[in-house]
Amino acid sequence: MPDGFEERELVERAKQDPDAFGALYDRYFPQIYRFAYSRVRDQSLAEDVTSEVFFKALKNIQRYTYSGHPFSSWLYQITLNAVADHYRGQHGEVDLEEGASLPSGGPAVVDEVVRRDRSRRIWSAIDQLPRQQRAAMVLKFGEDRKIEEIAQILGKSSGAVKLLLHRGVDRLRKELPQLEAELT
Amino acid sequence: MTNDPELDELFSDPADREVVDLLKASRPAAPPLDPHFRNYLRAKLMTEARRTLPARTSRSWFPFTLSPRTLAPAMAAVAAGFLVVLGVEIYLHRQPASIPVAVNIGKTIDKKTDVGTAEPIVIPFSGPVDKKAVADSVQIQPATSATKQWVGQNLVIIPDHPLAPNTSYTVSLKPSATAPPQPNPTAASQPKPTAQPAPTVAPTPVVVHFTTARPPVLPVVPPSFKSLNVSWGHDSRLGDFTTSGSVLSAAWTPAGKLLVTRPAGQPGPGSLPSSSASPTPSGSPAPKATTDVWLMSSLGTPIRILVPGGSFPAAAPSSGLVAAWRVVPGNPASLEVWDLQGTLSATIATLDGVPDRAPVWIGADRIAYVDQGRLRVVDLHGSQANGLAIKMDRGSLEASPASPLLAVEAATGSVVLDLAAGGSTTQLPPGATGFAWSSKGDLGFLVQQNRGTDLYVAADGKIFNRVATSTNGQTWSDLSWGPDATSLLLATKATNGNGAPGLILVNRDGSSPISFGATSREYASPQWSPSGDLVLFTRRDEAGGRAFWTATATPSTTDAAENQALAEVDKFMKARIHGDSRAAQAELDDAGLAAYQAGGSLLLSPAGNPFSRYYPVTVQLAGSTPNQFLVGVRIFSARGGVETSFFEEQLTLVLQGQRYLVHTVKASATLALGHGPTVVSVEIVQSPPGEEVRVHFDSDLKSETVSRDTIQVKDGDGKLVDARVTFDPDNHLATLAVKLRPGNYQLVVTPGVTDVNGVMLAQEYDAPLVIGG
Repeated sequence: MPDGFEERELVERAKQDPDAFGALYDRYFPQIYRFAYSRVRDQSLAEDVTSEVFFKALKNIQRYTYSGHPFSSWLYQITLNAVADHYRGQHGEVDLEEGASLPSGGPAVVDEVVRRDRSRRIWSAIDQLPRQQRAAMVLKFGEDRKIEEIAQILGKSSGAVKLLLHRGVDRLRKELPQLEAELT
Repeated sequence: MTNDPELDELFSDPADREVVDLLKASRPAAPPLDPHFRNYLRAKLMTEARRTLPARTSRSWFPFTLSPRTLAPAMAAVAAGFLVVLGVEIYLHRQPASIPVAVNIGKTIDKKTDVGTAEPIVIPFSGPVDKKAVADSVQIQPATSATKQWVGQNLVIIPDHPLAPNTSYTVSLKPSATAPPQPNPTAASQPKPTAQPAPTVAPTPVVVHFTTARPPVLPVVPPSFKSLNVSWGHDSRLGDFTTSGSVLSAAWTPAGKLLVTRPAGQPGPGSLPSSSASPTPSGSPAPKATTDVWLMSSLGTPIRILVPGGSFPAAAPSSGLVAAWRVVPGNPASLEVWDLQGTLSATIATLDGVPDRAPVWIGADRIAYVDQGRLRVVDLHGSQANGLAIKMDRGSLEASPASPLLAVEAATGSVVLDLAAGGSTTQLPPGATGFAWSSKGDLGFLVQQNRGTDLYVAADGKIFNRVATSTNGQTWSDLSWGPDATSLLLATKATNGNGAPGLILVNRDGSSPISFGATSREYASPQWSPSGDLVLFTRRDEAGGRAFWTATATPSTTDAAENQALAEVDKFMKARIHGDSRAAQAELDDAGLAAYQAGGSLLLSPAGNPFSRYYPVTVQLAGSTPNQFLVGVRIFSARGGVETSFFEEQLTLVLQGQRYLVHTVKASATLALGHGPTVVSVEIVQSPPGEEVRVHFDSDLKSETVSRDTIQVKDGDGKLVDARVTFDPDNHLATLAVKLRPGNYQLVVTPGVTDVNGVMLAQEYDAPLVIGG
């Protein structure tokens, strides 16, 4: 994790210095691309989203002000918006209500789960979570973000993020009997 | 993932904890990533950033005018490596105004040599062009499939495979491009406006020539070499401060040079303060890299910096590529592939933690590494192998150079993983560690016991036998096979005061262990050089420090002989290229002189068509002793500074007194360049139980034309030798698996081989093959 002061200095320089912006890109490309891919599950779309994120960041970096959160939080926010924009009006992403169950009563998911190895199984299951839960789970377990940071990215309170994580973990535990069997 | 107090606080229910622990222990699979995309996007962003950000300092519109060092990251950005800026000036006239659009394409590399084989080709335009038409008009000879991308006003041509070494390329752009973007959409889409004097036609085609770098000539391990017969010569420290500075790690390349990790900013050719440590235009230091990877001579003389900011390099067994980790503070470490010219080829993986070991090449196209305690295998496009679920920590990990076998000291036990058989495993004895593969594909490993160390050898990596055990109180470690695969070198340490530390040379069957080098010094990590004339190792000095050393292994007559023979060839060829008849004749014996005088070949080039360069195509021992070598050389001729044709000579060099002299010559017909694919080089490699004949081409070929019908080995009587032919399109490499008895053979490549455009080999290619007794 970059030192906060150093990052702030780099961001400030990036408002005027292309090389500094390049350094920011080098630093954050892997996680933004990874996060974008986790949301769209398509390499080409992930490339489009990642491009959009960094071009938007470049366009708007003059307006970025440090708010106590890592610069990456801002990029994650842009990523989420870019993904939402992409799917707006399309049907590619299943956007379930928070209280909804995992899709299709489980058999397809379970079949998929049974076939895959342990790690892939659980991450595959995360893919099936409702959108906000999935974002919170990916940011916490895949990207090691702090809860407060996730809250800022998702525009929620820390308490709400904790609830999302709780529900996500609870859902994984309850909805995946195969996993449960292996774990117990 | 480390402990996360937030999760500890949030999840206290044991059932939840189990799910959380599983999530923490696992990671989502790395997403597929086109290695060019990251660099491509960066280049686009940087162009846009330079256009839109209020610059603090005056900048050019495109960074090519910056110093090479400053330029490096931006150049690497455009596509996996330093950019080849094709220096061309195209003046496209916009009629009727007749104002040149002034498409000024920077500095020239036209007629440049030593261009890296992994370098993308970039053509920067400064004026509006019809991008699609320009891109569509690009033609490359020899036939090379490529992806073309526009990055702003720069056309980036990325060959789908690395370019062939030692090859003259011609890139042409047909002048169908210029159309200003807006006025008339139909005009922009007009194909081939060269057919008529359309307003946007440029006057002449743009043609650029360049030559790729020479590949390393792989050392020959002659049949006479016996690693058990060598003795310790003299040693020298690798890290002399006046030449190479501090050395943090070192390993051989297949060509007998050294890959070395040094602290950043060390002296050497092309060295400048590390780019990442240089002050930025704003005056603040950027994050500092701590190490660089260098290429050094076997004597430790720095040749060039290969990977700025790199560490833990590993050389591919045959392709001239290097994999290394590059760490930029604040970023995940990236696994990158570079060529030996110092050009980034691809970024193929990232690591969340700090790398603590070198990646391991599996053949020429896959790399194994350990990430978060898991074994991963990735190809050069960054695609991860599926299905590997092997946990390992700091255990040994080595790949066979002869087959797709990987020896893994996994958390659950040591295994040999067969990647060609769906990852099937062969279990090794408990505690097996310290893996080392011989050039013939045998696996050596060690098992530490209470009273000493057992040495095992597994023939072909499969059937293992304990062949030796250390004496009581001695601990063995750090195996290294002799290049002839008949002996093993290992480090020994005394425990409980029994015996002396040092290096031991032991037969493959465990017999005749002998001390090698000075005893009573603590050695580690011995590594034979590929030709067996040097040993690289670390040794603890009197002050307790550890330094890298090399020691000569004497007698090393054969390698020295080959080098001497090649040096004579070099003198001979340079004299001919310079038109110095007297110096050239001084390299001939009486028979050689008579052969040239009788018209066996042209000693000097004809007027108006001078010899421009040469390179060795093959180097073979022409017998069982290093007194005679057969050297194939390819000689190019040029007109007006552009190479137009070549021919080959097979030179026999015979040791006469203290020198090798050219004794016979046999010349091929002259071939015009640019008329179909050609053979670039031929190698014979031992591949038990037989041999492999590896034929490298310069062009992208139609795979279906590479077969037993088109590439053949014939014996002395002209009879076809049974061969299995495989083709690696990525490396333009045809491999013939054969079993040859000692004797003379001939490689025949027929005109049936065609490039991807359907152009046939201009004429049959023949080359002698000699199998020593």
